Amino acid sequence: MKITVFYVGTSLLSPLKRAEEEINRQSDIGLEVSTHNCGAALANDEWARAEMDVSDSHIVFIIHVTDQENASRISSAIDRNRERLRAVIAFNCMPDLMRRTRMGKLDFAALMKSRDTSEKENDSRSIARKIGSWMAETIRGRREKKNGHANPAQYLKLISKMPAILKFVPATGRLGDIKNYLFLFCYFLQPSPANIRSMLVYAIKHYGGVKARMEIAPPEQMPVVGIYHPDADKIFDSFDTYRKWRERKLKKRLEPATTIGLLLMRPQIISEARQHYDGLIRAIEREKLSVIPAISTFMDNRDACREFFIEEGKARVSQIVSLTGFSFVGGPAMNDATASVEFFKELDVPFRSLVSLDVQTIENWEQSRTGLNAVQAAMQVAIPEIDGAVEPFVFGGLSGRGVQPEPIEDRCQRIARRLARWNRLQTAPRSAVRLAIVMFCFPPNKGNIGTAADLDVFPSLMEILARLKSEGYSVTVPATAEELRKVVLEGNSDETGLLANVAYRMSVDEYRRLCPYVSDIEREWGSAPGVINANGRELFMLGAHLGNIFVCVQPTFGYEGDPMRMLAAESATPHHGFMALYTYIEKVFRADAVIHTGTHGALEFMPGKQAGLSSSCWPDRLMGELPNVYLYSVNNPSEGTIARRRSYAELISYLTPPVENAGLHRELATMKELLAAYRRTTDDAERDQLYEAIEAQARQMNLT
Amino acid sequence: MIFHDLFWYSEKSGQRFGKDMTNPSTDREQRVLHLYERVLEIEQRLIPTGLHVFGLPSADREIRDLLQVVASFDRPEMGIRALTELVAEGMSFPSYQTLLKESASSSERMTEREQVESITREAITIFIETESQRASEFLLNRANVAAEQSLKVFSMLAGLLHQLETNNELDSLVRALGGRYIEPGPGADIVQNPSILPTGRNTHAVNPYAVPSPSAVRRAAPVAEALLSRHLDETGRYPESIAMVLWGIDNIKTEGEAVAQALHLMGVAPRRDSLGRATDVEIIPLDKLNRPRIDVVMTVSGIFRDLFGSTMALLDRAARTVAMLDEPADMNYLRRHTGEQISEGGSFDEAAVRVFSNAAGNYGTNVNFMVLESQWEDSRELGDLFVTRKCFAYGRDSEGRQFEGREARALLERALERVEVTYQNIDSFEVGITDVDHYFEYLGGVTKAVEKRAARPRVYLSDTLSPAAKVRTLEETIHLEARTKLLNPRWQEGMLKHGFSGVAEIEHQVTNTFGWSATADAVDEWVYDKVAETFVLDEEMLKRLSALNPHSARVMVGRLLEAAGRGYWSANGEVLSRLQEVFTGLEDRIEGVSG
Repeated sequence: MKITVFYVGTSLLSPLKRAEEEINRQSDIGLEVSTHNCGAALANDEWARAEMDVSDSHIVFIIHVTDQENASRISSAIDRNRERLRAVIAFNCMPDLMRRTRMGKLDFAALMKSRDTSEKENDSRSIARKIGSWMAETIRGRREKKNGHANPAQYLKLISKMPAILKFVPATGRLGDIKNYLFLFCYFLQPSPANIRSMLVYAIKHYGGVKARMEIAPPEQMPVVGIYHPDADKIFDSFDTYRKWRERKLKKRLEPATTIGLLLMRPQIISEARQHYDGLIRAIEREKLSVIPAISTFMDNRDACREFFIEEGKARVSQIVSLTGFSFVGGPAMNDATASVEFFKELDVPFRSLVSLDVQTIENWEQSRTGLNAVQAAMQVAIPEIDGAVEPFVFGGLSGRGVQPEPIEDRCQRIARRLARWNRLQTAPRSAVRLAIVMFCFPPNKGNIGTAADLDVFPSLMEILARLKSEGYSVTVPATAEELRKVVLEGNSDETGLLANVAYRMSVDEYRRLCPYVSDIEREWGSAPGVINANGRELFMLGAHLGNIFVCVQPTFGYEGDPMRMLAAESATPHHGFMALYTYIEKVFRADAVIHTGTHGALEFMPGKQAGLSSSCWPDRLMGELPNVYLYSVNNPSEGTIARRRSYAELISYLTPPVENAGLHRELATMKELLAAYRRTTDDAERDQLYEAIEAQARQMNLT
Repeated sequence: MIFHDLFWYSEKSGQRFGKDMTNPSTDREQRVLHLYERVLEIEQRLIPTGLHVFGLPSADREIRDLLQVVASFDRPEMGIRALTELVAEGMSFPSYQTLLKESASSSERMTEREQVESITREAITIFIETESQRASEFLLNRANVAAEQSLKVFSMLAGLLHQLETNNELDSLVRALGGRYIEPGPGADIVQNPSILPTGRNTHAVNPYAVPSPSAVRRAAPVAEALLSRHLDETGRYPESIAMVLWGIDNIKTEGEAVAQALHLMGVAPRRDSLGRATDVEIIPLDKLNRPRIDVVMTVSGIFRDLFGSTMALLDRAARTVAMLDEPADMNYLRRHTGEQISEGGSFDEAAVRVFSNAAGNYGTNVNFMVLESQWEDSRELGDLFVTRKCFAYGRDSEGRQFEGREARALLERALERVEVTYQNIDSFEVGITDVDHYFEYLGGVTKAVEKRAARPRVYLSDTLSPAAKVRTLEETIHLEARTKLLNPRWQEGMLKHGFSGVAEIEHQVTNTFGWSATADAVDEWVYDKVAETFVLDEEMLKRLSALNPHSARVMVGRLLEAAGRGYWSANGEVLSRLQEVFTGLEDRIEGVSG
């Protein structure tokens, strides 16, 4: 007995494999379940295997497949094997695949075709048709638009009543097949290991053509929403029960200031495919933070937030972190960013969205120089960004070896520590907060210190410093922008001959002690300290300390005067001077956050993956655990987005300069007068004269 | 003499005089009208007149020109029509877009256009000085514009004014440092999308699957056709192959207008799946296209590659699909070229690769670094560097396997050999081609790379942020930029208000202009004459620059000397020795400053 399952995501594989094992233990039908993750388009060799599986399967399940190319291939494989397949069962797929559902006398293709032919169809047809179109619409998100907002909770309630209703449906003929479809759907919607096993057994019993004596339990009902915790043996149906349990266990209160709200996908919890969640939760708790891991119905995360993260309009959490991988409101197929933004503005809690590797394996991500594939970069990064999500870290996913999603430990730790850093920014007295303000200087010459597109940086810094002082930050504000410039540019730069004042000298020993990446950099740039911002024994931090604020100059890539490096197709690492500055900021100056001032610097363009960085990517190594606030020109969403994804920046857009018409100066004004005069006059002689003047003027000013 | 000029002119600008050549007086009218249009183009171009200071509202900014341009765009998404269109309609003229297009060839249209602009301008002035109602009444009386329509525009302008008078940037910064939620917002030119205000928000990109959007597809076709017809006018034939530079910035702001242009050049349109995602292409039949399918070599920025992964796949798929169409070779250049390459011994997968970018995890061509640091001897090195950095192919082979940045130097070189036109879409006046070094590193870089392998291609840029999109040659664009910015006292003084940073801006503008000499030899010598005259030979100006920022002044003078030294500018001996003297003086001064 062979069943092929086309699926998407991380939750189904584990219960499917468990069911296969269990069924084979309990029976001798020799069940083989072959699975194909169809999140991204399959390569030909992968597809060849899938097609072989279809061609000797008895039953095919197609679940959540929305990739067009995969869908067409699956459709044609199904069609080729139509006569042989005993049942094809599609759930939540695109219409083309839904149409392939065929079980006994039930044939969705015929039903969906006959949609408009007759109103007076018998009830069995209309039930199936409604279900077919309901599901097709649901995945397209149309239903939400029609009803104004999604209500999957209600839908799950309906489904939970369905088995009871279905008892009254006769078990024979087409109605029987519809009943079977709905039963299978009920199992699938509550994908607990037991239900997934029942789903397979149910399909085998009714359509497998084998006599297997196996019990089928009615669909096990699982909570729709709730709070999950790996240490608890049940799912909490209310915040109060969770709070009581948690506070007793921790022997301390859950304080909003140190509690992180996590949004988890329901199927992963139900399917017990949640090790990646567990890993992240434990990493966060290790940082002395508490969590409220709420199970969310992914169509509208506001429901779970309202139920578990908010009490009388006030947040119970300091940050909300979505692990669902979809837009906050709207689910996989649409994105109501306006609703999301309104929600977060009102609640005033920052929002992060992390990436679970659902359609590529952890190994594939690790080895890929691109990082996230195009599907994940769009769904799990680009769309949540529109809701205002920041810091798109990968936290876990499916390994090619296992069937359970796993946490990626070093990413979980980095995420947890950065959450703790942001929490400190929320609560620390301003007088204790230390900030590094980073300026750019490109190309490196003194005249370019404070280069940024559209921005006059030194006067801008004066505005910022003055405001920070009034907010209670401990900062020495120079009298004028000119004075600030002198402090940074001149200072002791006469003695060193460097671009700017040297604010700190880091010995090579200290550099080696504090920075774990020195040997990687030495392979590329030679022994520390190198020649950039260094004197053979020490590395120089250019800038000036103004109380708790360190104003500094970011070095460039370091290609200057080094044509060989410039000519290389690929760059390898930042230079020692670059690395040393960020090491200094994080570990010696101990900044609580960094502000990058203006469009744009070099850090976010350092080598590494494009999004979903790993611990070997240089922007990740440079930023470390530092919150990054980046002042960015509002007309540059593209490079700005690179900064968001690769340096975990929160952008603060700034206005572009005032604009005016260029107007006409000197000879251009004369030219316009001549031309206008020519156009006005009707006198031939005058026109001849004017024309000559015009041509002479045009030649003189090279106007063609 | 006049005839000579006309010939020269017609060659240079591509205007064809054909049958009119027999009638000098008509030619004269045309010539005057053409020059007049050129002057208006300069006069009306929006330029920045300073720099922004973070957190400060631009209360004292001269607002009228900006409002006039903002009011000149239809904004169907807000149910607002352009004031200029309303006026043209009320006056029973052809549409303002038509007037813009035809004013260079018809005196009547020019007069009408000027009338529309002057009425609109007066209305905006009344709006600024009094209020919406009065401006709307004026338009009703003067141009028969329904109050209901014009009030919608003024209400948008009032909102814009209000938002420009406040500024939330510092509040947002303080909030971010307090770990609060920062609201996301779109990023664009203010004229293009006034909803970028208020600033102080977390700028976001777009969903790549939505690209190119239906409206981008609609807007792209006429621009792509204009590009081809400009080439047709100038050479009498279609370019067989175009190297197109694709960036993230314009494709985010326009939801993929340049992507849609590339597709249209190949004669395809995006096809959306049942979830509305653009994942495949639809063939535009040849009898509907009415021209050959153009071979498009896409040199893509690392940023586009990162932000538009699914679009990279779409573009690759488009090229492969078109290359496989069973069509006559003279109507499908992509097929012709892949066929040729296969007959030379290549595989289809090799011959059909058209999407090139940096190696994964790398960005930029480094051509800008090379130019800024004067690290080159022969300009061909710049083209080679472009190829070295950009020869990584992206797509999916016939086996369905993804390749993400496979080094393919020979394939890029082979594709560039056939290129006759290099092209980039521009949709911003806020970031011009001499404002930043990225335009010359990309469009200049690819132009130089083609030049080494074939001949210097024709270089075009579109200007799509305008009620009537235009296609200009690189030379026209550079000279327009120089006249409106570098050589324009309004721009100069705007920058110099910012002292130190302003001088740096002037120097960058000179250096980026020079970048177009280095990569494309596209700067006329008079530009350098004028730059030297304005900033160095003018004692007063030189004094100001040297006092405010001697470092940048020195770099600027050095750059002029470099332009002369490399043969892009044949300055006379006196000017050169003066430049030399000033350069040495500034060096001494800086040495003195730093001891």
